[in-house]
Amino acid sequence: MKGIGKALARTPFQVTSKIGMSKKSKDAEFDDLDRHFASLETAAERLIKETKTFCDAVTSLFTHGHGFATHFSTIFQPIAGEYDLLGKHSEAEHTIRSVTKHETAMEEMKTLVTPELELIESRILAPAKEVQTIMKQIRKTITKREHKLLDFDRFNNSLTKLRDKKEKSMSDEKNLFKLEQDFELASNDYDYINTSLKQDLPRFMQLSTQFIDPLFNSFFYMQLNIYYMVLEKMNSFADSAKYEITSMSGGQIEQSYEEKRTDAWNDIENLNIVKRIVSVSRLVQVSKSQNSQNSLQRAPSAAPSTASASSSLRAPPPGRSLSSAAAYKKAPPKPPSLTSSPSMGYAPPPYTPTPPASEYGGDMSTAKRAPPPPPPIKSKPKPKVAIQYVIALYDFTAQAEGDLSFNAGDRIELVQRTASSEDWWTGRVNGLEGVFPGKCCMKTTVNAWFELCCRKLCEGGVVVNFVHKLLSLMMMMLQTRINRSVSSDSSSLHRPRQRCLFYAASPARSPFFPQQGAQ
Amino acid sequence: MSWAGFKKSVNRAGTTLLQKTGQIERTVDRQYEDEEAKYRVFEKECQALQKDSKAYWDAMRSMTAAQGRIADTLETFYSAADRNSEGAMAGHAYKRSVDDLDTTFNRELDGPYRTTILEPIGKMCAYFPVVNEHITKRNKKMLDYDSARSKLRKIIDKPSEDPTKLPRAQQEHDENKETFDLLNEQLINELPQLLDLRVPYFDPSFEAMIRMQAKFAEEGYEKLSGVQRYFADNVRDDYAAGQLDAQVESVLQEMRELSICGGN
Repeated sequence: MKGIGKALARTPFQVTSKIGMSKKSKDAEFDDLDRHFASLETAAERLIKETKTFCDAVTSLFTHGHGFATHFSTIFQPIAGEYDLLGKHSEAEHTIRSVTKHETAMEEMKTLVTPELELIESRILAPAKEVQTIMKQIRKTITKREHKLLDFDRFNNSLTKLRDKKEKSMSDEKNLFKLEQDFELASNDYDYINTSLKQDLPRFMQLSTQFIDPLFNSFFYMQLNIYYMVLEKMNSFADSAKYEITSMSGGQIEQSYEEKRTDAWNDIENLNIVKRIVSVSRLVQVSKSQNSQNSLQRAPSAAPSTASASSSLRAPPPGRSLSSAAAYKKAPPKPPSLTSSPSMGYAPPPYTPTPPASEYGGDMSTAKRAPPPPPPIKSKPKPKVAIQYVIALYDFTAQAEGDLSFNAGDRIELVQRTASSEDWWTGRVNGLEGVFPGKCCMKTTVNAWFELCCRKLCEGGVVVNFVHKLLSLMMMMLQTRINRSVSSDSSSLHRPRQRCLFYAASPARSPFFPQQGAQ
Repeated sequence: MSWAGFKKSVNRAGTTLLQKTGQIERTVDRQYEDEEAKYRVFEKECQALQKDSKAYWDAMRSMTAAQGRIADTLETFYSAADRNSEGAMAGHAYKRSVDDLDTTFNRELDGPYRTTILEPIGKMCAYFPVVNEHITKRNKKMLDYDSARSKLRKIIDKPSEDPTKLPRAQQEHDENKETFDLLNEQLINELPQLLDLRVPYFDPSFEAMIRMQAKFAEEGYEKLSGVQRYFADNVRDDYAAGQLDAQVESVLQEMRELSICGGN
């Protein structure tokens, strides 16, 4: 409360003195001291701050130095399951052997520096902080002096004013007396505090110099110690690890580094995985083109492995994979067009054993053009086992010698087949024997017929009404029954009827008149 | 993200979900996983190394810089009383040598440190994002391959009505397998190479590092110890005996006894 009262009393004068209406007394000697003191204050503050920075820097220097050494030595040690780094990189042997020592040295340094830092903390920082508190006290005294000076000026001012007044009233006289008293009090206060400050501040400055002397010396030796410690450790490490470290300039260090630099830089640069991926598809293409260049070496190893199951191996005809792209719709069993080179992953399906070439070689052209229901040749050898038939789902035209041509819906007598429909099977149709892709056919007749019907319907693009569909379905069922009941060699007999059924599904064509040639 | 990319990521998310629930089998490639684990260790170490090397350098710089500023402060203290005392001379000498030290480091060690430590490590670390990109790509392609394979298997197990489905699935499967194999093989081949090359790559840095550490300590020690000449003869022993601390304490006591510090 007292403080607020004082502050209120001082305010009017502060304002008037600010705007130059009332004069202020000055003490040049004190002002000079004050300036010095202020600079000391900032200096003390900075000293504390910088000492802290220094300590932090030293701490981080050793922490990170140790961290560096640790990670470096980890890198130079076998990572999970690697072996014999030394054997592989004999040129780096020195480093590999030394990294651990270095790590230990750094760790020791880190522990060694801790007491040194604590010393700085307790012997430098603590006294500096102490000085700072003392300075704060002095600052308080100075503020007090300011206040007293203000009071002094204030009363002095009022007193002069009142004294200068020509005609004094009663109250003025009373005030004058009171003011004189106040002024004397204020002037005493001010004088006392001003004198003591003027006396003690120079003393304080002197003391602070005395103070900073030993502080600086201690600090200096602490710093020196840190450097010395590092130097000592580095020297002992270099001795034990046989490194030449004495007095090399930065330039020399760099030079010797450059000399030792190996082509590892380039080697890494040349790795594919450190290059950005532009596009995977392009990557695949590039690798494919690279592979096809050395496919000569790879092909022999790839082909037998896929085809080894079959005893009589036929080399994949070169034309096959190329034509497959065009014939894809009609002949799906061909290897997908993506594998333009035979060596890449997808080897063409191996051929199953084929009958001797002489048996069909001459008939190849006729087979292609022959009308679908040619007179069945009865010369086929009767197999002992029950003859199996498959229904062709697609038209297939022979593309190489030994292929079997047929039309969709043909019943193919199986001569030999493999378990996989990916393979080429051997079959007989219209008295001709040859190989054909197993994918073209279906074993289950109902499914095959239904499939065929649906496809034909769609292909025809004709609006088909329900009756037709039903009819075809029914007929198909019927046909299947017949098929099953009729013995295997009656293929010639029911063949036309199969055709009929097949076309019955499409109303545009006259039923019962198979128009195979029209396709 | 492009529409195609979005579709892909949605499909892959679905595949991951199905894999999590065990609907789709995962491709497990032990060899690749080993290599990747090793690579991850290396990556982590390198990044830590980069951080440490940078911080080490910064600490060196900040150490000398702080010393320089402390020297400035000391000068202010000395100038408060008499500028020509012995202490002031020593302080001045200290300032000079510390400044010298600071410039020496900047001039002589900055370049070498950069070339021999920071740059190689930084370069190595710059490769990692690219390699990681390859790894991500490979993982994505693996998902694609997994889903294509399971699709194909389903079709083979349960032949579809549409005969074109099988070859199409087969083709898709083959394409995905090829892409995946390509990326996978590449990583399996080259990750160990990258790891292996780290030894010759970082080898020269080590020696340079040691030399620079030694150089730092040597310079610091030499430059600073020169200041000792300006000290009184007994200072060194006093320091060792803890006399200096006692001096500091006594001065502080004297300060406290000043009337202006009474706080009234």
